[in-house]
Amino acid sequence: MALQAGEIHALLGENGAGKSTLIKIMTGVVQPDGGDVFVDGRQVRVGSALEAQALGIAAVYQEPMIFPDLSVAENIFISHRDRGRIVDRGAMRRDAEAVLDRLGVRLDVGEPARGLTVAAQQTVEIAKALSLRVRVLIMDEPTASLSAHEVRRLFGIVKALRGEGVAILFISHRMEDVFQIADRVTVLRDGRWISTRPRSEVTPASAIRDMVGRTMGDFFRRTPTRPGDVVLEVRGLAREGVFAGVSFTLRAGEVLGLAGLVGARRTDVGLALFGIAPADAGEVLVDSRPVTIRSPQDALRVGIAYTTEDRRQLGLVFPLSIAANVTLPTLRRYLSRFGLVRRAAEDAVAQGFKERLSIRAPSVRTAAGSLSGGNQQKVVLSKWLNTRPRVFILDEPTRGLDVGAKAEVHQIIDELAHDGIAVILISSELPEVLAMSDRILVMREGRQMAVFDSAEATQERVLAAAMGQLATPAVVV
Amino acid sequence: MTLLLRRVRPEQVRELTLVFILVAVVAFFATQIPNYLAWQTFTDISTGLAIIAVAAVGQTLVVLTRNIDLSIGSVVGLVAYFVGTLLAGTPGMPAPAAFGIAIAMGGALGAVNGVIVAFGRVPAVVATLGTLAIYRVALVELSGAKTVTTDSLPAWLLNLPRMSVVSLGQLDVRPLVLLALAVVIVFQLVLSYLPYGRRLFAIGSNPDAARVAGLPVERDVFVAFLLSGALAGLAGFLFLVRFGNITVVAGQGLELQVVAAVVVGGVNIFGGSGSIVGALAGATLINVLQQSLIRWPAVSAFAQDAILGLLILLAVASDKVILGRLRTIWVQARRRDEERAAATAAEQATHGA
Amino acid sequence: MARDIFRRLVRWEGLLLAILAVIVVVTGIAVPGYLNPQNQINLLELSIEKAIVVLAMTFVIVSGEIDLSIASVMGLSAVLVAWLKEQGVPVEVGIIAALLVGALCGLFNGYWVAVIGLPSLAVTLAGLIGYRGAALLLVGDRSIGGFPEWFNRLGQQPLLGPFPLALMVFAVLLVGATVLLQFSGFGRYAYVVGSSPEVARFSGVRVRRVKLAVFAMSGVVSAFAGVLLLARLGAVRGSTAEGFELDIITMVLLGGVSIFGGSGTMAGVILSILVVLNLRNGLALANATGNTQAGVIGALLILSVLVPNLVAAARSRLGRGGSAEAAVIPKLSDL
Repeated sequence: MALQAGEIHALLGENGAGKSTLIKIMTGVVQPDGGDVFVDGRQVRVGSALEAQALGIAAVYQEPMIFPDLSVAENIFISHRDRGRIVDRGAMRRDAEAVLDRLGVRLDVGEPARGLTVAAQQTVEIAKALSLRVRVLIMDEPTASLSAHEVRRLFGIVKALRGEGVAILFISHRMEDVFQIADRVTVLRDGRWISTRPRSEVTPASAIRDMVGRTMGDFFRRTPTRPGDVVLEVRGLAREGVFAGVSFTLRAGEVLGLAGLVGARRTDVGLALFGIAPADAGEVLVDSRPVTIRSPQDALRVGIAYTTEDRRQLGLVFPLSIAANVTLPTLRRYLSRFGLVRRAAEDAVAQGFKERLSIRAPSVRTAAGSLSGGNQQKVVLSKWLNTRPRVFILDEPTRGLDVGAKAEVHQIIDELAHDGIAVILISSELPEVLAMSDRILVMREGRQMAVFDSAEATQERVLAAAMGQLATPAVVV
Repeated sequence: MTLLLRRVRPEQVRELTLVFILVAVVAFFATQIPNYLAWQTFTDISTGLAIIAVAAVGQTLVVLTRNIDLSIGSVVGLVAYFVGTLLAGTPGMPAPAAFGIAIAMGGALGAVNGVIVAFGRVPAVVATLGTLAIYRVALVELSGAKTVTTDSLPAWLLNLPRMSVVSLGQLDVRPLVLLALAVVIVFQLVLSYLPYGRRLFAIGSNPDAARVAGLPVERDVFVAFLLSGALAGLAGFLFLVRFGNITVVAGQGLELQVVAAVVVGGVNIFGGSGSIVGALAGATLINVLQQSLIRWPAVSAFAQDAILGLLILLAVASDKVILGRLRTIWVQARRRDEERAAATAAEQATHGA
Repeated sequence: MARDIFRRLVRWEGLLLAILAVIVVVTGIAVPGYLNPQNQINLLELSIEKAIVVLAMTFVIVSGEIDLSIASVMGLSAVLVAWLKEQGVPVEVGIIAALLVGALCGLFNGYWVAVIGLPSLAVTLAGLIGYRGAALLLVGDRSIGGFPEWFNRLGQQPLLGPFPLALMVFAVLLVGATVLLQFSGFGRYAYVVGSSPEVARFSGVRVRRVKLAVFAMSGVVSAFAGVLLLARLGAVRGSTAEGFELDIITMVLLGGVSIFGGSGTMAGVILSILVVLNLRNGLALANATGNTQAGVIGALLILSVLVPNLVAAARSRLGRGGSAEAAVIPKLSDL
């Protein structure tokens, strides 16, 4: 594939299609087995991160790689080799401000990066790339943790860079991002190049077809369920400075979607209900009885389970076996009278889930860390299903999964509802929320904006509520 | 208050607090111990401090990178013994040569640590726990359980600690103290103004990001250990000068005092933040307490360690609890400012449109 | 993966076993009577208190923390029994008091680490200095001896057959610790907390409680070991057991327990205790001083981590297929 100066080139592909490997090769983190890389028509070898820098190749990651203890200015200039033997703080501040100015951003460059928002940290990384005279900027899922407002600002910056003749490789799972900003679109599948086309010739459907290699029908499918009694009732739930005024009821067998843009504080509602970051006002009733949830143990006791959006960091203990992970929250049940773990019982229950959710692994004694993303997610789901929850909060259950694994997770959610579990589905993918939910609660900046029945919910209405129906605020310069 | 908070960073509050506590401690003992504020007290304290301070400078460099050097006590002992033997054997050896050998030898021992940690990827605790024992063995083997005694050493060396370079009134500034002070100033400048110094902060702050940014992480960590060793070597030289008698247990346990000084001085044990001046303040506080408690009749001299233990705990706890809160307030204040600015800008934009 | 872990286990423990065999065979040939059971018992007896604390320290390190204060707790508990005896308190009561104080010391460390969230390295460094200071406050620079006959006999004479009390205590604790770490729910929690504390928290594991328990255990066991040491030595000073922490931590790490927590087995730790003790004894018989023995063990400690690292690095440099990750994680397509 070729990347032209002054273009925004989107790279699409399922998980495992080879996007990350491509980035690693281009930034010198790993070496290719074969093939060549050309910069400005000259064949080059990117042997290390330093060599990539010298060639003008830089990457901005989803999780910004910043130094929290250093100032903004220092973060921008830390890897510069040409700034003399002695650090001239005054000059560095001025230069940092100049670079940020080019991006149309104003930050206090003397402030440590620790206190910055993710969006601001990303901006610092882009500024760093810019200061290194970047020619090729790779952006790996840069919008994943940004609010709509921040995304718009980021796109403004990216377009400005394009204007300066920088080639931008833009990797995203969010189709709407790609169609909003890309000039050309390349699709990878199974580590192979599939197609490169101008955006005008690509439709979401054709892109998905290229990504999966087959035409995708409507892969979100819910079978109708008959809701039972009210299981969970939430009245005026609030956490100081985070969210406030969240109220809803949830019946057995119902799926409640929590929609909203990033920064809407949906995850915080989940964390409050699960007792990780407890609410400080409002009432929670389970089976019409008021409960106090101050810790995950409290939540588990009343039958609330929660799967985190951050599977890698918070979902599984990678070195432990599948069985040990599945029984972790309920380990007491698998202890003998003397406090010893009954391995046979543990294996049996894990085996049951392995078959039920078709977890692809050699055995339940396999380490959880060695599984693919989709199978890891199924182990996470098993672990919480095994607590026999009344209320199951799923936070971004399909994030980072490929299309096939996503469909399987959706299938599982549908089965949960059939089994009479009340599900709260937090998802940033609007089509997913619309397809999976019976009702949709829309949040914006910590406030509950609206609750829609699935019949009356459309992308437009939900989005309008999520954006507060206000005129979009202008980019702050 | 908020204005002040916004000006001064929490880390600077930390160092100011330490200085404040130091003054308070001195003031307290002045009321308790007769003749405490005599110049002699300060001369004593500063001389004892020099060894710890120099070693603490090196330890700070290492701790900043999220590592630790536990071998310091053995390096100090080994270097002190080796240089002592050398001087006893060749009395004509010039002072700068002895000085240089001490530093070079310490540097070599530090380099061994550096290679094992930075290139061998052995956790620093494991590596330097090992060399702590190994360097001590080297000392034992070298000495054959013999001792370097004062009378075998050249006169210039023995006179060095009693010499005074400058006398400010009755305060004698000893050459050892000047040397330690020079080391502190030089390395504080290195940390503040050299790219290498800033990279140490970067590495400790986020090692993964440091690699991705193409920083020479391995080399920098290696050099930090090398410097820590070299400074421990220098401390070993000071040790020899101060005590004269060097046995096989010389410097044993010094590493704990040095780590304590660094921790009390507000250097984050998980790397990324701290300063040489802070480490010096930590070392000073510990030393002042030790020297003063001995002379305080109200409390048994044996209470020293118990109080020191509490002090370390307090220092670390205040770091976490108080600074954590300050930092939150500080960040929130900043964020509010930003939001206000954003709101005004948005308003202007809509008005403009 | 399971097989791979097993293989690595066999490799690590196997390596220790091989080293142990070499040491025993070499010394056995060089020194007649070395393999005599009585000699082995004597050898174990001389470091038995350390070996006991090693068992507790294994839990601390597996759960991702470190306890530098153990030797000071040992000293404090021994001093406390002696000091109370001087005040006219019977030794039996003194022992109970010492165990309680040990538990309190451990809980105190655990409080700052688990509840407040301070780094254990710093907290227990304060403990190392502070608890030793408390011991010094009690006895100053005196030495206290003159314990009742029965107490000294327990420490110095064989109790059952050739086995002294401390050795039997160690055997019992060893079995208990192995079962607790490898087969119990508590052991599972210790691994989980050490491996990924956040996952543990999100899974409803009471992380604080686990860490508190681990530190309390470390305190009690250290205090108990201090009492045993007192009985064996028959007298105590303020500096009793000083510096033991380094030996104890070394034995745990040499046993294959990662300093970062979450991995290691009791089998490895036991082998490591045997390797260290036999090595020390062998070296002592070869006229090496105590310091030299410590040096050799220090070198062994470094090599135990360094050599596998170098092998892995060399292997990944040699060929594509040989990278460590590729070897560990099986491809889904193979299944």
